[in-house]
Amino acid sequence: MSVPAIAITNLRFAWPGSPDLLAIDEFKLAAAESLFLAGASGSGKSTLLGLIAGITPANTGEISVLGEHMDPARAARRDAIRASQLGVIFQLFNLVPYLTPLENVLLPLRFSPERASRLRDAGLCPHQEAHRLLDVLGLDGDGLDRASTALSVGQQQRVAAARALLGRPGLVIADEPTSALDHDTRDAFLSLLTTECQASGAALLFVSHDRSLAARFDRSVELDVINKAGGSR
Amino acid sequence: MRAPLLTLAWKSLLNRGLSVGLTILAIVLSVTLYLGVEKIRSGVRDSFNSTISDTDLIVGARGGSLNLLLYSVFRLGDPTANMGWDSYELVASAPNVEWAVPISLGDSHRGYRVVGTTADYFQHYRYGRSRPLELATGRAFNGLHEVVLGAEVARLLAYQIGDEVVLSHGVGEVSFADHSGHDFAVVGVLAPTGTPVDRSLHVSLESIEAIHIGWDTGMATRADPGEDADALTPDSVTAVLVGVNSPIRVLGLQRQINTYGGEALTAIMPGVALSQLWEVIGAAETAFTAISLLVITVGLFGILTALTSGLNERRREMAVLRATGARPSDIFGLLVLEASSIAAAGAIIGIIITQVGFALVSGAVRSQYGLDLGGGFGLSEMSVLVAVTLAGALLGAWPAWRAQRNALADGLSIRL
Ligand SMILES: Nc1ncnc2c1ncn2[C@@H]1O[C@H](COP(=O)(O)OP(=O)(O)OP(=O)(O)O)[C@@H](O)[C@H]1O
Ligand SMILES: [Mg+2]
Repeated sequence: MSVPAIAITNLRFAWPGSPDLLAIDEFKLAAAESLFLAGASGSGKSTLLGLIAGITPANTGEISVLGEHMDPARAARRDAIRASQLGVIFQLFNLVPYLTPLENVLLPLRFSPERASRLRDAGLCPHQEAHRLLDVLGLDGDGLDRASTALSVGQQQRVAAARALLGRPGLVIADEPTSALDHDTRDAFLSLLTTECQASGAALLFVSHDRSLAARFDRSVELDVINKAGGSR
Repeated sequence: MRAPLLTLAWKSLLNRGLSVGLTILAIVLSVTLYLGVEKIRSGVRDSFNSTISDTDLIVGARGGSLNLLLYSVFRLGDPTANMGWDSYELVASAPNVEWAVPISLGDSHRGYRVVGTTADYFQHYRYGRSRPLELATGRAFNGLHEVVLGAEVARLLAYQIGDEVVLSHGVGEVSFADHSGHDFAVVGVLAPTGTPVDRSLHVSLESIEAIHIGWDTGMATRADPGEDADALTPDSVTAVLVGVNSPIRVLGLQRQINTYGGEALTAIMPGVALSQLWEVIGAAETAFTAISLLVITVGLFGILTALTSGLNERRREMAVLRATGARPSDIFGLLVLEASSIAAAGAIIGIIITQVGFALVSGAVRSQYGLDLGGGFGLSEMSVLVAVTLAGALLGAWPAWRAQRNALADGLSIRL
């Protein structure tokens, strides 16, 4: 059996000055699995993603991403793991405004030599791979060298998806990436995202409060069910 | 800090062209001002300190060294006494003395001092970096009643070759005792030097003697410019410029002259005396430097404003960078790079402007004022570039630290 994409045991987390927000004894996301994580606003979904991504250090407990320990004491290590193994998609404003969409897609390669060398080992040129992903996600050639801010929100989300997938990271985490999209755009984006994650073998942790989307994933989980802390409610 | 940050910083700055441009402009202006002031200042100082060069000693009657320098070189003030002609001959024939040029002061023409000397003066008087005197037109004097004008005298009094001038006894602007009957013909005009030479009239020692025949009695008599060379040999001169054949002999010779028993003499080294004098009159230069340094500081503080005001709008951007793998130190580095790039750009453009500007005007300044505005990219440009860039980085550290702290506190969920 391959290593799980995410393995959490006995996690405890509280923001400074607040009561425990998260208390998760056991949580697993298998490699290449897609999971829908539902939770009310303020229930700590984004906080959990920040912990998994290694941006926020956990208080106690253990988080592993693709077998790598997100050690609270080793910030640089967590940053390196994230750079190499994670793709992140936000709800909005995913793009660095002064970079073109193409440069935005290539951004992770600036911070992760591993990710760049993975592409090279697979015999891929970063630019071609970026173009391929953008193409697959329905963003063809023109407009990719223009300002990122000129793109529609739906286009921006797809650029963000291409960036998350570039260099085949083992895990993509998405924090309500569809909540700013209209119904049709949302559906199209979702199928593209799930299909591409599947195609590249990346596990997908998709967070939303819109439970109607749950059916499109391998599995769905309620944060309240796995979280024993009564935190902010 | 990682190399990819450089291109990020660059693109981020380009994206905020207007505000970044204005910040750079402020630095450009302040750096240009500083370098301009600095260049003029050092040009003036250099030209002052080399008002006379290659002359190893100036000898005159016993008195203050500053006074000797002032009257012999700057044509200011009056000599307390003259020195004897035999002392001049003694100095001129002393071992290791390569040349000795006597000068005799005391007459003037419309406020400009007259220097009685020998034709050797034009050969041995040097200024700046060993620049010799050059004739703009005409030739050196070689007979009685011939005068060679300094550039300013000729320009301001509109004299030309062939014009006749009358010298006056004494050095006041308005003289009551003209050496009438002794018209001097202008035979040459010197090129501008930026030194007191420009404000002098040069005649031969014999001419000085000739116009003073009979003045010993205090009476202006019509002199007879006799052919008798002996009669025109002066008894005394005001000062002697001395060139020594080896620099290590200068001190010894100076001591010898200062302790000479035959006549009370003073010998000074012009370079030393000039820098002593500059210490006195050059105090203002420190004020100029201080002011222009302050202006640079004000210019640099624009960086702080430009970066700090943008920090809140950039929290999203920082979160995106973090999510794609940037470390907190990368965020810090990005902003410090932006700050130091702004500073460096301002410094570089400012340096280019001063270089080009001074290259354009230096020819005119040299010919008009004899002032050498030393050109080229030198130590002062290099240190301005380094210092301004470092100061920019230092100022950037504050907003950078705040951005890093925000990025750490924000986590993955920014609520704006
Ligand atoms: N960076 C932070 N610093 C301090 N407290 C925070 C921070 N981020 C979130 N919180 C707090 O943690 C709690 C959970 O916030 P979080 O953003 O994780 O919820 P969420 O489930 O993502 O909500 P939403 O659906 O609105 O995005 C909230 O009470 C919030 O105030
Ligand atoms: Mg959230």
